[in-house]
Amino acid sequence: MSRPGLVLEVDERTPPLLVCEGEGFRLEQLPHGARVVYPPACLPGIRDLDAAITRALHQPHGSDPLPALLRPGMRLTIVFDDLSLPLPPMRSPDIRQRIIEHVLELAAAHRVDDVELIAANALHRRMTPAELRHVVGDRVFRSFFPRHLRNHDAEDQENLLHLGQTGHGEDVEINRRAAESDLIVYVNITLVAMNGGSKSVSVGLASYRSLRHHHNVDTLRGSRSFNDPARSAMHHSYDRMQDLIGGQVRVFTIETALNNDAFPQPLGFLSKREWEWNAADQAAFIGARRGSRLLSPALRRRAFHRVAAPWGVTSVAAGAPSAVHPITLRHVHRQQVTPVSGQADVGVFGVPYLCPYNVNSVMNPILVASMGLGYLFNMYLNKPIVRRGGVGIFYHPLPNEFHTVHHPSYLDFYEDVLTQSTDPAVVESKFEEQFATDPWYVHLYRRSYAYHGVHPFYMWYWCAHAREHLGDVIFVGADPAVASRLGFRAASTLADALQLASHTVGGSPEITYLHAPPLTLADVS
Amino acid sequence: MTGGQDSGPGNRAARWLGGAARGSGGSLRRDLALVRQGRDWRGRARPPRGLPAEQDAARAPFRTAWARSAPAALARDALRTGVLKPLLWAHARPVVTGREHLAGLRGPVVFVANHASHLDTPLILGALPGPVAARTTVGAAADHFFASRLTGVTTALLFNAFPVDRRGDRETGRRGHGAGLATRLIDSGWSVLLFPEGSRSRDGWMGWFRLGAARLCLDAGVPAVPVAVRGTFAALPPGDALPRRDPAPISVRFGRPVVARPDETAPAFRDRMMREVNALWAESDVGWYGALRGAVEAADTPPTPAAAPPADGVRRAARWRRVWESTRPTERPGRRRVWGGPAPTWPRQRGAGSGAADGARGGARRS
Repeated sequence: MSRPGLVLEVDERTPPLLVCEGEGFRLEQLPHGARVVYPPACLPGIRDLDAAITRALHQPHGSDPLPALLRPGMRLTIVFDDLSLPLPPMRSPDIRQRIIEHVLELAAAHRVDDVELIAANALHRRMTPAELRHVVGDRVFRSFFPRHLRNHDAEDQENLLHLGQTGHGEDVEINRRAAESDLIVYVNITLVAMNGGSKSVSVGLASYRSLRHHHNVDTLRGSRSFNDPARSAMHHSYDRMQDLIGGQVRVFTIETALNNDAFPQPLGFLSKREWEWNAADQAAFIGARRGSRLLSPALRRRAFHRVAAPWGVTSVAAGAPSAVHPITLRHVHRQQVTPVSGQADVGVFGVPYLCPYNVNSVMNPILVASMGLGYLFNMYLNKPIVRRGGVGIFYHPLPNEFHTVHHPSYLDFYEDVLTQSTDPAVVESKFEEQFATDPWYVHLYRRSYAYHGVHPFYMWYWCAHAREHLGDVIFVGADPAVASRLGFRAASTLADALQLASHTVGGSPEITYLHAPPLTLADVS
Repeated sequence: MTGGQDSGPGNRAARWLGGAARGSGGSLRRDLALVRQGRDWRGRARPPRGLPAEQDAARAPFRTAWARSAPAALARDALRTGVLKPLLWAHARPVVTGREHLAGLRGPVVFVANHASHLDTPLILGALPGPVAARTTVGAAADHFFASRLTGVTTALLFNAFPVDRRGDRETGRRGHGAGLATRLIDSGWSVLLFPEGSRSRDGWMGWFRLGAARLCLDAGVPAVPVAVRGTFAALPPGDALPRRDPAPISVRFGRPVVARPDETAPAFRDRMMREVNALWAESDVGWYGALRGAVEAADTPPTPAAAPPADGVRRAARWRRVWESTRPTERPGRRRVWGGPAPTWPRQRGAGSGAADGARGGARRS
């Protein structure tokens, strides 16, 4: 049996602990008495994945078996999660490739000719042909690219279909091809509890007109956390939209859950508990830490983004989204949930080099904020690990760097919007519409490889709950000018950060460090 | 969850604030120092104290059956009687009392002793009659003595030790690794020496007993023999590598075997064991009868480790005062004699230890 999650109290025997800080990591000696939250040990992956996929397709939940849904002359659309999942990207063959190949085998056997594959990238940047090939595999790529394997285009008005409004007045507008299909087969990877379920189709294939109903400050402040769908206003909105979509088009979803095997050797030490590091792990740490410093920033980034994870798949389940998702969530929780007793005055988070929006790209300051205050802060059930009014201490150098191709609107957001206000509500009301409809950003999104013009706003809203909850936000090792622009404070060391924090939480704070990687979902009582 | 208490993790964090900043350095030397911190020469770290046993399942239990084989026993006997005991006795000159209680033992027992020093085990084993010592195994902390193969082999060979997971037990009843092995050893006729405090005292004062030893006695149906060791904290406290050159007087006292009553629970039996060890510990100060009186009075109240006189009020005192008391000379051995034998004390009486208590029990002798 796998070891359960662990909350460790730092004592004199606890070795210095690994903390990620962008494209680097450090060993940090936390104060004695600080608590460290580790996830359960890595679960074993399914050994015979092909058998598991076959079983899932033939014995679905809340749906007829997939072969029974296939017939000649039908319109079949296979939709899959884009490159934002998983993180780091999965070593070939990607689980999506395996599943899509199984689905296509069945479709071919049932003489289905009209098949389209669409990456559910919503307002994310388009995937390059190489990225598409990595996800779907060479055989699928050669068979369908470019005409029948493509990215979703949320600004292609002719190929969007408005399906109506939910009972809450939310517009539901998704990809026309998918909406007019006889069957949508959605191939998902649920890396964290936020993914999958109703979100898959209602977000992945949606347009700005639809997304703005849940990607806004109000909804995100009401999502506590967005990794706890039952308590997430955002997921309630997804559910309403999915109900509407499900009434008009049949969706057969195939969801997968992963274990925590996120790094290959020699970076395996990133996923191990520090006192279990062997000599090779220690050497790898020193080598990776020192070696990465010898590289130029571009080479260092390239090296990190070449990491392909040996993820193990812990669950494959198929059928109706509402029936499948609880099963997937159970497996995600089994791997990631650690019960934590009580909130701390100070939460410590190490921000890694990768977030869903900088795959093969630069993690700019807004993405760092979104990763830290959005994703990591929201890795909780029930309550945040930090009490209301407490302090969040994050590790990241916060360099003033942007990828001009991928994140053009981010740069303008940083220069033009954040200089005027960092308040998410003000930013939303004053600037969102302008960025969302700017023809230049729309053009770059559709023709280049840029994130949509409104995307930096969404990332900023992602932080809204944490900003409202925390009394202070301090970035250790950060560029003070950048931290100041984002409305945060910078400290050179943890000791300095705790000194700054003492003005908010006093000189004797309780400290909890959410150890990541591996991914940990704190169930705070 | 806000801090603000006088003690606890938060305050430790506050104290830490005054220390040097760590981990932010950029030098290779700094990185190496951080990686090496808390690890042995092979790069292995001991698991943190707070790590539950089930979280440390990756480590395979250290096998010690070989240490109980005849060749190992021969080697151990040679090392103990030829090297270890002569050196230790020459250096520490311990006073041993109460060995007469062991004469009537039939079958295995569990020796339960207070623990303040690495000297405790060799002293107790050396103080036991030879045949008893030869059939006694020692429960040793798995995370300390068996964390590496070298120390594990040495400990197992020299002291016939077996690993005990001291992170189990406490009041929860959860058992650590080693509990099953101890029962099997007793079933095989081995006596077991345990230090139920789980760790060496940091101030020389006896700490609270865990439940494991009491539960072992109940499960195996064997008596517990209380043992009190004094003076070792002053001679070799935790943190020191070598004994002090001029050690304080050291004594080892064995008490009468204590048998669990038919309806006695493990916590109740644990409490009784504590009182027995406590009384033995206090004998040097208040004498045998005084200690007996103290034990009777303490029986009506929950045991207070090492609360017997003169510790009244000391247990709750500052740490330095507890250390002060723990290192107070208890028995004056007198001038060292060239030809061995018991040192003459007041009243001069060949074969007797010092003080009224020893006189009353009439059993102190250097073995």
